[in-house]
Amino acid sequence: MSEATATPRGSTRIGAPAGGRSAAPRRSFLRPLILVVLLVVLLALPIYVEEFWLRTGFAVFGAIVGAIGLNLLVGTTGQLSLAHAFFLACGAVTYVFVSGDSGGIGLADLSGLGLPPLVGMIAGVLVAGLAGLLFSPIAARLRGIYLGVASLGLVFIGQHVLNSWTSVTGGFNGRSAPEFSLFGFTFGNRDPELFVVGVPFREAERLWYLGLVLAFLAYLFARNLLRSRPGRALQTLRDSEVAASVMGVNVQRYKARVFLVSSMYAGLSGVMYALSIGSIAPESFGLELSILFLAMIVLGGLGSVGGAAAGAVFVSALPLVFQRYADVVPFVGGAGEGGLAPGEAARYFFGLAIILVVMFEPAGLAGFAGRFRRKGRDPGGGRPTSSSSAATDSSTTSVPSDRPAQGSTS
Amino acid sequence: MTQFLSLLLNGISLGAIYALIALGFVIIFKASEVVSFTHGSLLLLGAYSIARLSEPLGFFFGAIVGIAITALAALIIERLIINRLRGAPVISLAIVTIGVDIILLTELIRRIGSDILNVPHPWGGGSVRIGDIGISQNRLIATIVAGVLIALFFVAFKYSSWGVSMRASAEDGETAALMGIRLGRVSALAWVVAGALAGVAALFLVGSPTPGVSPTVYTVALRAFPAAILGGLDSTGGALVGGLLIGVSESLASGYQDQLLFLGRGFGDVVPYIVMIAVLLVRPSGLFGTKELTRV
Amino acid sequence: MDGMSASAAGAEIRSDIPSVDVENVSVRFGAIKALSEVSFTVEPGTIHAIIGPNGAGKSTMFNVLSGVYKAAEGQVRFGDSRLDQMRPYQIAGIGVARAFQNIALSGGQTVAENLMLGRHHLTKAGFIAAGLRLPRATREGKIHGERVAEIAEFLELGDKLHTPVGVLSYGDQKRVEVARALCTEPRLLLLDEPVAGMNAEETDRMAEAILEIRSALGISVVLVEHDMGMVMSLADRVTVLDFGRRIADGTPAEVQVHPEVIRAYLGSGDEINPAEAAEAAATGHHSSETPGTHS
Repeated sequence: MSEATATPRGSTRIGAPAGGRSAAPRRSFLRPLILVVLLVVLLALPIYVEEFWLRTGFAVFGAIVGAIGLNLLVGTTGQLSLAHAFFLACGAVTYVFVSGDSGGIGLADLSGLGLPPLVGMIAGVLVAGLAGLLFSPIAARLRGIYLGVASLGLVFIGQHVLNSWTSVTGGFNGRSAPEFSLFGFTFGNRDPELFVVGVPFREAERLWYLGLVLAFLAYLFARNLLRSRPGRALQTLRDSEVAASVMGVNVQRYKARVFLVSSMYAGLSGVMYALSIGSIAPESFGLELSILFLAMIVLGGLGSVGGAAAGAVFVSALPLVFQRYADVVPFVGGAGEGGLAPGEAARYFFGLAIILVVMFEPAGLAGFAGRFRRKGRDPGGGRPTSSSSAATDSSTTSVPSDRPAQGSTS
Repeated sequence: MTQFLSLLLNGISLGAIYALIALGFVIIFKASEVVSFTHGSLLLLGAYSIARLSEPLGFFFGAIVGIAITALAALIIERLIINRLRGAPVISLAIVTIGVDIILLTELIRRIGSDILNVPHPWGGGSVRIGDIGISQNRLIATIVAGVLIALFFVAFKYSSWGVSMRASAEDGETAALMGIRLGRVSALAWVVAGALAGVAALFLVGSPTPGVSPTVYTVALRAFPAAILGGLDSTGGALVGGLLIGVSESLASGYQDQLLFLGRGFGDVVPYIVMIAVLLVRPSGLFGTKELTRV
Repeated sequence: MDGMSASAAGAEIRSDIPSVDVENVSVRFGAIKALSEVSFTVEPGTIHAIIGPNGAGKSTMFNVLSGVYKAAEGQVRFGDSRLDQMRPYQIAGIGVARAFQNIALSGGQTVAENLMLGRHHLTKAGFIAAGLRLPRATREGKIHGERVAEIAEFLELGDKLHTPVGVLSYGDQKRVEVARALCTEPRLLLLDEPVAGMNAEETDRMAEAILEIRSALGISVVLVEHDMGMVMSLADRVTVLDFGRRIADGTPAEVQVHPEVIRAYLGSGDEINPAEAAEAAATGHHSSETPGTHS
């Protein structure tokens, strides 16, 4: 480190001393404050909210973890991936295999290691990471758009494996996921019985906190990452691979690393998914799931960690809201009432929202929030080439300008 | 040996259909730098329209109108969305087509429901024997039609003013625009052609030996994506080779699936993706794709 | 600013700065030869300009020097290193920095963040250290942040450190480009048209900055530039390219009277005005209206 901090050898310092100014980012107080308030509310919620919403909440926390991971890859680095469902499946299957017990259900002969669920969870993350690592020779060398189509392959190969490898995955019918526990404390309804201010804390409440902690940690890790050396390298790589490389970033290695990190996030998300549903089935991990995750990060705001979380909440919650308020929302009806089924209505909405967001607000929900915050602060209001933008054609030209075709015509 | 030849021929015929889809995929990419994830649902739209229309209009008119509808849908997507996003990053364009795909696919699946719609091909489900080798009439006609269309396409691409403009704009859009080529028109036409090709592919894809129009057709159409990628996303010739390669390997894997049982039932369906990944490992830009000038 | 004599002025020549030897480099794109057997040497601690009409291969040459294009033939040596066999990030790692002509900054990131990228090869924090905010990562960021602020100050960007690059003026963005290259603590600085599109005053300030960089740091600078006045006043040596070939190589005074050079510029519609350029070289002033600035 010394060589970096020393002033250049044999020279005076360049320019005047900086006078205490530093390139460290300024921190506003508002953001941490909002975060703390949000955390307190989320911590208190199980005391007031019914079980249905807590269970939904855990599923949403799982989605948040997955969305943050995908956003690191797609939003921050500009590598399109439709393989997210595959890596979720890796995590989920590993969890049920490692922590599940051997035995037979119907015709299927299932094997399982019966190890503690925490081991299963960690193994789920690691195996998803390993799968990501195996694919990374491809992920590292392909330009973003080739990766988009190539990753499509993983989903279908994954489906095939899930359906065929019956002893591990349970095959077509799937297999149930063991209850989570942590050093003897189970996240089920008993064992031990637990009351907090008179409210029984059963499975739903306990899982809620598990989800909250995991999602929060996932959020912090990603945010720290983006604000530091690797994060800057990834963002530059998205804007221009050539510029990143010329500035000293080993582009292939970084693409491989971020693919690895993203698949590990997906692995954790997959474990949480298995816990939330209580079982796994191949059809849950199809292309549609990948596309839902893509919808989350696009609607939330590509490249923004908070945006990914917001997008995950939005996309997971919308079908439920439609379901709950089917008679109020226009066009949506229950099954057989002639209207759209809530799931269908939500899909139309996502499709339309994706189109509109890309066309008119590439920074997504995070962009809305950012614009709202900036109001008043700078009346000029100029939206900077937004930080999030796989969708802004920011200031870069990746291909050096002296292509013969151009050189000879101007 | 007979079995092998039979599988090979059937593979080629399937590959010819894939090549039609992949070709559309590639020309859209060349003309508007869009990787169109809408292509699967466009094809399903074609299949659905043909199935629905061939009853009131008769097969031939139904097919023609169905193909036209597919081409029109592609044009609408281009005009309404893609054209307004000119210059946006490739990844945003791809994402927008996924948005379109979600809407179109949801609507089509809702309409088709759990039915299997039948397309009354006049050649029916019969098959032809060439020596010892059997192939369904539908597939044989598909191969011939696809061959003619692809040949026509390559001639047009090489000699027509549209083909020349398109190659010029794919080479260097800015310069082409300066030279008076209207990029918007080139792109619109590319989408129309790609839509029509998808419609034709749909017509044959839902015939024998496939039972008819069901949402699975979408999944089948997706297997043309690897064809386009492994040929090279910006190579029309690559799309043809890629399509055939995918078709043949899928046909062989399905035909010999008893020998491949250790890989699981239905292995043939994922073979296109495995072939694609294998090719990309060796050649990241596909077999015939333009290599990147820059190294990073 | 005493352009012509500055090669030795102020800075002792650093012993760790080797010369750059470009030998018979050719680059092909398909059938087109973008560079044909180009050779030149950049002596340690000098400012070396590469000039030529549009399409002459200047930027191609830069892309070879920074490893972005692979030379079909020939060698590029920087001391013991063969630049033509290295990837761009490896070249950055041995102290070759480049500022892009068509600004290649991340518009959404702040000036400070863009400059910190320049510290990439000098720092170590990986995914885990950064994600967990390990103390060493935080400390590293802080220390390097101070140096970055210093360099920003030098290029008059000190008050814009926390501004997103996308909202800066064009001239400021150009300076961020140069600052980012400097942040890598280079031994060889490649500047691709650092004043293109700048007004006269900004151009003067940039020229001064370049001279000061060289005299303060004692590093070599290779410059592609259209602004003839600037080239003539700054450069110690000039290599002239036309249609991918080297047509002249020498001091500014030698080059501007070289018949091939005059022909190349006349032929392409660009024009060197020998009298004006000579005057600029002599006085160290230059006019941004020199023909040849624009094409």
